[in-house]
Amino acid sequence: MKTARWLAAALAALCSSAVHAAPADPSLVERGAYLARVGDCVACHTAPGQPTFAGGLALDVPYLGRIYSTNITPDREHGIGKYSFEDFDAAMRHGETPDGRRLYPAMPFPSYAKITPEDMRALYAYFMQGVQPVAQANREDEVPWYLSARWPLGIWGYLFADAEPYQSDPQHDAAWNRGAYLVEGLGHCGACHTPRGFALQEKALGSTDGADFLAGSHVGGWFAKSLRGEPSQGLGNWSIEEIVQLLKTGRTRSSAAFGAMTEVIAHSTQHLSDNDLYAMAQYLKSLPAADGSVAAAGTATLRDDGTLAALQAGQYPRAGAAVYVEFCASCHRFDGLGAPRIFPALAGNPSLLGDDTRSLIRVVLEGGRMATTQHDPMAFAMPSLKELNDQEIADVLSFVRNSWGNAARPVQPAEVAEQRRALSALATAQ
Amino acid sequence: MTLLTALPIRALRKPALALATVTLLLAVTPAPADDSAAPKPTPVPMVAPRDATIPGGPEGELIQYGRRLLTDTKRLLPDKVGSSMNCTSCHLGEGKVAYGSPFVGISHRFPQYNPRAGRDVTLQERVNGCMQRSMNGTPLASDSHEMKAIIAYMEWLSKDVPSHGQVEGMGIGDVNKKLTPDPVNGQRVYVAQCASCHGANGEGMKDAAGETIFPPLWGEHAFNIGAGMARLFKAATFVKQNMPIGIRLDGRLGQGQVLSDQEALDVAAYFTQQPRPDFAGKDRDWPKGGKPKDARY
Repeated sequence: MKTARWLAAALAALCSSAVHAAPADPSLVERGAYLARVGDCVACHTAPGQPTFAGGLALDVPYLGRIYSTNITPDREHGIGKYSFEDFDAAMRHGETPDGRRLYPAMPFPSYAKITPEDMRALYAYFMQGVQPVAQANREDEVPWYLSARWPLGIWGYLFADAEPYQSDPQHDAAWNRGAYLVEGLGHCGACHTPRGFALQEKALGSTDGADFLAGSHVGGWFAKSLRGEPSQGLGNWSIEEIVQLLKTGRTRSSAAFGAMTEVIAHSTQHLSDNDLYAMAQYLKSLPAADGSVAAAGTATLRDDGTLAALQAGQYPRAGAAVYVEFCASCHRFDGLGAPRIFPALAGNPSLLGDDTRSLIRVVLEGGRMATTQHDPMAFAMPSLKELNDQEIADVLSFVRNSWGNAARPVQPAEVAEQRRALSALATAQ
Repeated sequence: MTLLTALPIRALRKPALALATVTLLLAVTPAPADDSAAPKPTPVPMVAPRDATIPGGPEGELIQYGRRLLTDTKRLLPDKVGSSMNCTSCHLGEGKVAYGSPFVGISHRFPQYNPRAGRDVTLQERVNGCMQRSMNGTPLASDSHEMKAIIAYMEWLSKDVPSHGQVEGMGIGDVNKKLTPDPVNGQRVYVAQCASCHGANGEGMKDAAGETIFPPLWGEHAFNIGAGMARLFKAATFVKQNMPIGIRLDGRLGQGQVLSDQEALDVAAYFTQQPRPDFAGKDRDWPKGGKPKDARY
């Protein structure tokens, strides 16, 4: 009996080491590398200045504390080198590790559950054979003992995660389905762009889950804008081509990604194939406005409301106009149209027009930098204007949100003060 | 002889010319104190007042008009400006940026000896120097509403500066003039760091309303060869300190501090030597010698 057990164990060991040793099909590893870029695994699993995929990046989870991303290199002691394919699949889809530990949903396994078995095989091949093992131990999470039990995460998973691979929707064409698969699944766009519920679960995980999906949410001091069809704050006035340009190059003629999205573009989307980018854009454009609003015919919300003429004539009767002229106009211009691919337009820019103003205020306070990609020689930046007081910032933001045809509620000085406090707390925590 | 003792020392080098100049100068302004004798005053930190604090009434309107003329020069003075430039193309951020050739304190520093003119010049004359060179245009009459407005804005910007006019960050800083510029590398730097905004052919960029965002650096719409910016060291210093704009998270325009002294010299050697309009009055420059080695004529 003992011998039989020993034999079985030896066999299992042989089999599992055989899995690791057998060189996988190079094209499978290559495809896995591409998929890992779509999934942007590097974003969380690499700490600044540390080896790729060796983990150690601090993630502050509301209510819980600080957790650290883990080593996902094939190192057999510290990484995932001992994982069988089934182990890998369970971690990716269900948030379960081989030792029975439950992963915090900072790991977007509810989205990764949609990955097809074929793509999961490719990812596994890449992480086992295409990634350099790094012997770097994982850091202990900083979670108070009374919150450190992981078993409730099992219930969380049962309640909020659906572990089924993506099912093609026959009502849509192949490109749309490809886009849905990438956006809802590996791309896990909803991790930032979908509002979260009481248990920090994403309120919707796909287009069929309702209007919360990608309707905009706040994360890490930013507001990740709506990717749905609202003409003002969503993508209602954007063309498919513009969405592709933004994902590929970090900017369009009239806008630029900023904040955390610049990292997504730099690490992930700039490397995607045009086919995949067009598929994602086609899918995003199919999401109706969360509030039922519809883009006007001809799409443009821009209209000549006299702002340009007033600024040219030196007339600044509206609060914020004088601040705009002094601090903003040399780049964003009197017509609010900026300079193509250099200074973003403010006229008609959905990032300006949301109800949630924290990103807007943050960019004024901290400045911001465009994504650096292989597609443009220079990445431009906006300087911090934190020397402006709360009233001046509120005034100038209210001015740009209501000029050149823009229309959005005014910004209050208290919102600026609150964001100053929040960013200062964020900086202290880091 | 009593007249001569009041002359600036530099003017004594060519007594005949100096006498003519000084009689003229004395009629307009008192001769400035000889700054080579007195210890240099300590510059004060540059604090530029906000536009929102420009007073109301006719005085404030004049200041506002001056500010607009300096920032929107080409559109407001189409008959006077030949190039596609505004004063604030070089005097960045409404003339409020340290090392971006600011106007803060400037009204106290004029009249000032100008080696190019070989005599003391007034602030009005200095403004007209820019009008004829960088702007490749024609001078404004000293008593014109436009000139008065421009001076009023500069005086308002300088109102909190002591009368010595010395301000930290005045001018454009310095560059290592001992380095040998390499225009071939300069072209590489231009393509990598300048062409996105100033264009592959130095043509600059206009906004959708037709106004200059980034001025042309050569060609018929650029500053002429009489401009400071057409000279190697001036251009290199300005570029090192202020270009590109919109590249950093700090600074009034997120400007500069990207290129090394060598790269700045290289790229300046490349673009200053490109074709550009001639300057008609060039024969009258540096009448007393002392022409700098980067002069274009």
